[in-house]
Amino acid sequence: MAKTMKEQKSKKQGNYFKDFLQAVWKGDIWVKASLLIMGAGYFARKQIINGLLMLALQVAFIFMMAVYAVPNLSQFGTLGTVQFEQVFDPLTMTSTVNDYDNSFLILLNSIISLFFIFVFLVVYIHNIKNVYKLQVMKREGKHIPTFKEDVRSLFNERFHITLLSLPVVGVVLMNIIPILVLIAIAFTNYDQNHMPPNALFTWVGFSNFKSLFTNSVTVTFGYAFGKVLSWTLVWAVLATFTTFIGGILLAKLINSKLTVFPKMWRTLFIIAIAVPQFVTLLLVRNFFGDSGIVNTICANIGITDLLKNIGLVHPNLTYIPFLTSPGWAKVMIVLINIWVGVPYQMLISTGILMNIPQDQIESARIDGATPFQIFRHITMPYVLFIQGPSLITDFVKNINNFNVIYLLTQDVYVTTDQLLANSNAKEVDLLVTWLFRLTNEYYNYKIASVIGILVFIICAAFTLITFSRMMKGDREEVFQ
Amino acid sequence: MKKKVCALLLSAAMMACGLTGCGGTDANVGSSAPATDSKASSEASSEAPATDPISNLIAATTGTVELTVWASEEDQDLTKNLIADFEAAYPDVDFNITLGAESESTCKDTVLVDVEAAADVYTFADDQINELVKAGALQSVSATYTYDVATSNVAGAVEAASVDGTLYAYPMTADNGYFMFYDKSIFTEDDVKSLEKMLEVAAANDKKVAMCVADGWYIYSFFKGAGFDMSLNADGSNSCNWNEAGGTDVAQGILDLFATGSFVNMTDEEMATAITEGTIAACVNGTWRAATAAEAWGENYAATKLPTYKVAGTDTQMSSFSGYKLIGVNPHSDNIGWSMLLAEHLTSEASQVARFEARGLGPANINAAASEAVQADPAIAALAEQAAYATPQRVGGNYWSPAQTLGQILSSGNPDGTELQELLDTAVTGIVAPVQ
Repeated sequence: MAKTMKEQKSKKQGNYFKDFLQAVWKGDIWVKASLLIMGAGYFARKQIINGLLMLALQVAFIFMMAVYAVPNLSQFGTLGTVQFEQVFDPLTMTSTVNDYDNSFLILLNSIISLFFIFVFLVVYIHNIKNVYKLQVMKREGKHIPTFKEDVRSLFNERFHITLLSLPVVGVVLMNIIPILVLIAIAFTNYDQNHMPPNALFTWVGFSNFKSLFTNSVTVTFGYAFGKVLSWTLVWAVLATFTTFIGGILLAKLINSKLTVFPKMWRTLFIIAIAVPQFVTLLLVRNFFGDSGIVNTICANIGITDLLKNIGLVHPNLTYIPFLTSPGWAKVMIVLINIWVGVPYQMLISTGILMNIPQDQIESARIDGATPFQIFRHITMPYVLFIQGPSLITDFVKNINNFNVIYLLTQDVYVTTDQLLANSNAKEVDLLVTWLFRLTNEYYNYKIASVIGILVFIICAAFTLITFSRMMKGDREEVFQ
Repeated sequence: MKKKVCALLLSAAMMACGLTGCGGTDANVGSSAPATDSKASSEASSEAPATDPISNLIAATTGTVELTVWASEEDQDLTKNLIADFEAAYPDVDFNITLGAESESTCKDTVLVDVEAAADVYTFADDQINELVKAGALQSVSATYTYDVATSNVAGAVEAASVDGTLYAYPMTADNGYFMFYDKSIFTEDDVKSLEKMLEVAAANDKKVAMCVADGWYIYSFFKGAGFDMSLNADGSNSCNWNEAGGTDVAQGILDLFATGSFVNMTDEEMATAITEGTIAACVNGTWRAATAAEAWGENYAATKLPTYKVAGTDTQMSSFSGYKLIGVNPHSDNIGWSMLLAEHLTSEASQVARFEARGLGPANINAAASEAVQADPAIAALAEQAAYATPQRVGGNYWSPAQTLGQILSSGNPDGTELQELLDTAVTGIVAPVQ
């Protein structure tokens, strides 16, 4: 059954344009007229309202093309040519502005126009197929639904369309169009020297991508990108792994029969979640500052000197550079992230651990397995199986874990790698924090877009690979 | 059928979008129309009393004048009062002035997100002026109406408010630079003339002297003091000659200061704590820390210009960035005339006096700054003293990160032992990097 549906589906997709051409070819005069006047086919089948709506749509589209799409799309190639100019008249205290081009608006409006045109084409093709279908229905003497029936069906058998239409519009407006604009910006020279409305920006092809990967003396973007990317990946693996293991162990510990007051401990950790993350992180940042409370304590009880003696702290320093030297900062960030992230993981793990099939554990115990063996061969595989997908999302989330990195290192961490500094990057930067600094402090939108695209590709690749591996085969049966 | 309904929905959505799209353009047309109207009508009315622009403007104004003003969080009450005075000064005009809170130090970030949506009148620190002008976010002060901006304010402030000789903003305060705070009970007035002497005295008293050397803003004072230049080019990149002959002497000078162990690199927040705890007896900072220092040191609180430091054995006066807070008018304002008048009002002599009285901010206005009360303020007096060695901040974005890193390396004693020339060469490479 499923197989045939699949076949039908692929056949359907393959024949998308063929169906359209066939409809045009075999359609009667009304179907052919619909090529010019979209409502024609409906009028012929007495679906007057449908026909009027289609006609209105067509008129609206033509109007949209004339006043909106064409003026913008005609400048899409150059993104505008007329620079902003303003003349102030001191006597009347008013200023006159020329009819200038705003590159960003042209880009945005063009993309919206293209999107509309695409949607219109889809509707147009469906329209022809539809009126042809009506023609066939009429010929076969079937009942052609009235407008009322069409509307009613939207609240019954086709209610999902009614429900989904609003979210779809939302996704298009909030996600798809901005993403398309972002991708387009990666191919322009939109930065602080080309900022609308005062200046124009234009297409530069792949030169931003090129400058990201070339390692010349003045432009150290390639070097910085490599460094930042590798730390991003190391961080994502470490952060995901440590909080995962930490959470399971903590949950096991609290679930253990030997632990007294398990509920109290669990509540305490949940309270840790309830405190907003940025408060925790900023506090922790101050604790571990070069002259923070932890350093004062360490200096007083001699830990600083001890670390100096074994070479972990540079002899010149009078403090432990918890968040100010690259090595220390990276370790501290991972550790602090464990503190921030483990309670969440503990909650999830607690739920899973409570649902482990007890029969398996019992039979293992009867067979003489040690607690560690049970943990290693029964508990872990079970937890991993249940949590696989959420681990992948965690991994992707950690690639983009802005909060922890930014809040812990901003204004505190100063890189001593001059090549990184020349690209406004730091050793502890993730791609996303670097991207934020580039856009927010240096208005380098074009490079930020390029990095954004690359971050997306990296995340998408990881998600796809791991998901497809995880879902492969019939692993579902293993734990049933 | 399914497709049709889908199509209908899409078409409806599309029409809605199309309509909003048109709405957008309509709104633009609408907003520009009154401007031209008012211009036309003012031209018409200007034929009779062509000499007085303000009465022209009042005559040309119909309906409510909508203005948005951005001032810092701390300045809200004061600005509110000044705006009330402004409204009272033009009783015939109906104003609706909205006051928003926006920090002067980061104003640029908000304005540049969307210049057209930014406030009509906003306050900002003078270091942002280049980027604001470049982005077309500042109306040039090509005419003044209630007082002469260029001659009423100190020369440094006017220079800081100008780009390429054109005045783009109204100076509001002249207190955004840095200088030396010190504890009189530890240092004498002679001690504070030389940084080496200060460190010696501090060491003897088991205290430290702090400066945020790992920050482009402060490390500039060493190099500029020794005659090295760092300036902004027209394209937004920098010119910098710190790595030329003698540059390594400056770097060595900084290293020597830190080698004493009494000179420490601290951020502003750390200094605040350290002043209160009494670990530092002097620090380089700005007026925003005056209250902290005054509270901690009581009657021993003092401030003066920056000291000298030794470059290859010679005492060299440290330079600094001067800092001013300015008020700008958005050229995209619908009421540019009123915005300019309001900006003038907010920066007039009376307003600057009021600002000093209410908030202790040093006036840029010559008359206001000459008042006894202002002269008696140690921090503002120290700034005035330092002004002779200060230069306005004209810096491209590529300066900060490499300079900060250079400062960090020098303040931690150059742990990797990199050749100083190489350090400076790499830093300069980053500083002068073309704006990509």
